[in-house]
Amino acid sequence: MDKNIKKITILSGINKFGEKEKFEKIEIKKGEIIAIVGPTGAGKSQLLYDIEKLVQGDSKSKRTILANGKEASKKLRFDPKRKLIASLAQSMNFLTDISVKDFLSLHLKARGKKFDLELIKEVIEEANEITGEPILPETNLLNLSGGQSRALMISDVANVSISPVILIDEIENAGINKEKAMQILVEEGKIVLIVTHDPILAFSADKRIIIKNGGIVKVLETTLKERGIGHYFNWVGNYSLKIREKIRNGEKVKKVKLFCEPIE
Amino acid sequence: MKLIIFAGTPGSGKTSIVKYVIEELKNNYKLFFVKFDCLKTEDDKFVAKRYKISTVKKLAGELCPDHYTALEIPKILKENQDKDIIILETAGLCLRCSPYVKEGLGINILDVTSGDPSRYGPILTDADVVAISKGDLISQAEREIFRANVLMVNKKATLIEVNGLTGEGAVDIIEAIKLSLEIKTEKLTLKHSMPSAICGYCYGNKIIDEKAVNQRYLAGKELKSLVPNLNCGRCGFKSCNEFIRAVLDKKAKKKQCPFIK
Repeated sequence: MDKNIKKITILSGINKFGEKEKFEKIEIKKGEIIAIVGPTGAGKSQLLYDIEKLVQGDSKSKRTILANGKEASKKLRFDPKRKLIASLAQSMNFLTDISVKDFLSLHLKARGKKFDLELIKEVIEEANEITGEPILPETNLLNLSGGQSRALMISDVANVSISPVILIDEIENAGINKEKAMQILVEEGKIVLIVTHDPILAFSADKRIIIKNGGIVKVLETTLKERGIGHYFNWVGNYSLKIREKIRNGEKVKKVKLFCEPIE
Repeated sequence: MKLIIFAGTPGSGKTSIVKYVIEELKNNYKLFFVKFDCLKTEDDKFVAKRYKISTVKKLAGELCPDHYTALEIPKILKENQDKDIIILETAGLCLRCSPYVKEGLGINILDVTSGDPSRYGPILTDADVVAISKGDLISQAEREIFRANVLMVNKKATLIEVNGLTGEGAVDIIEAIKLSLEIKTEKLTLKHSMPSAICGYCYGNKIIDEKAVNQRYLAGKELKSLVPNLNCGRCGFKSCNEFIRAVLDKKAKKKQCPFIK
């Protein structure tokens, strides 16, 4: 079933001009983070669609997506319960008037699982590892801050969702520790696809897929230097998170210390 | 010929998705688009202009739009025998609406932010396809909970996540349309009975009082037995019920109906 998808392979297709894509295959394994970059309208949604549908040359792009190295069976492709990709986007909000604990137990129920207090506590604990203000089981979803909501969504998607692929659509300035958030998803063995141009998120990825004109034009492996740059920006981000907490607590900020050099 | 019925509450995203569907189908199929609404719409003109297909709008006015839709379907089919696919968009007003026919494909556009799906009647439970819209506004978890709740009330439907702004999901709806069956009979059958109301308020009473409602009901019932119930329009009103109301409100005379001696 879905949990057993350990590898996704993208076999090349064509771009919007009908030209063949310049790669043979791209392999994405469990626990990897892949950044997807490119201008607006470049074709990122088409790639995500292809992956969700496990296409076999029958989509606009003519790509083929293999699951665990093989073409997906008809049964897997058209299974109504199957949802390969779980997504998180900047536009998402919690709309249910319910406590965090009751909400997580509802989600477990919707997935056909029994009430599991241990798992619920774990989800909340992991969410609290990436957000400044701690979430309590009794807190109402509608009262969570933007950062807390995002943190809870990430932890929930990592621990409760069955989808093996997580798609993150830009979570800049979300008030969370982005590197730790990626770590949580990777530790749960998910394949993480992240559409972003943010240095922290893009450089925490193992590779970047560059899309232009409806086709994949390049795949770049993240260099060690780039990783270092990402770490630095994450440190700055966390530093900024701490300042946010001071502001939230009504304190004054007297001094900050940062170092920058020109970009190469 | 296929009849595709899109039903959903106002603002759920019906028209947005229908536009994407029409855009894709128009090059290979002869289409006809009919839009039902209560009082006003310009969507028929918009679609005709942008996609260059024939369209019509049908306004229910004083009548329940779902009843009106069923009354108009025979005429729509008769006048469009040359078309491959008729796309019908309902007004979708009440949770008890029941617009689908057995011989057509019923698609419910359901807004994921609308709350508990178990509140909905046949518009959801009798749909062949449930297209869940606006998923980008809520968390993944709430979407999964919503999906599970929809499947609890409609086990057989195909669930498709759609986005009226980006057109996501339109491809899957088109797939379902292509797989659906052609109409083989002349007379169509509703999947479920329509919601009903037969009381003094139906005959135009406005005074919220038991006695007044009953009086109006009895007067209306009497007139109802005299009119032909053909909605022929010769009295100057769109339907016999409208005529009865007007007579009881003293805005029309009985003799306006040529069938009343």
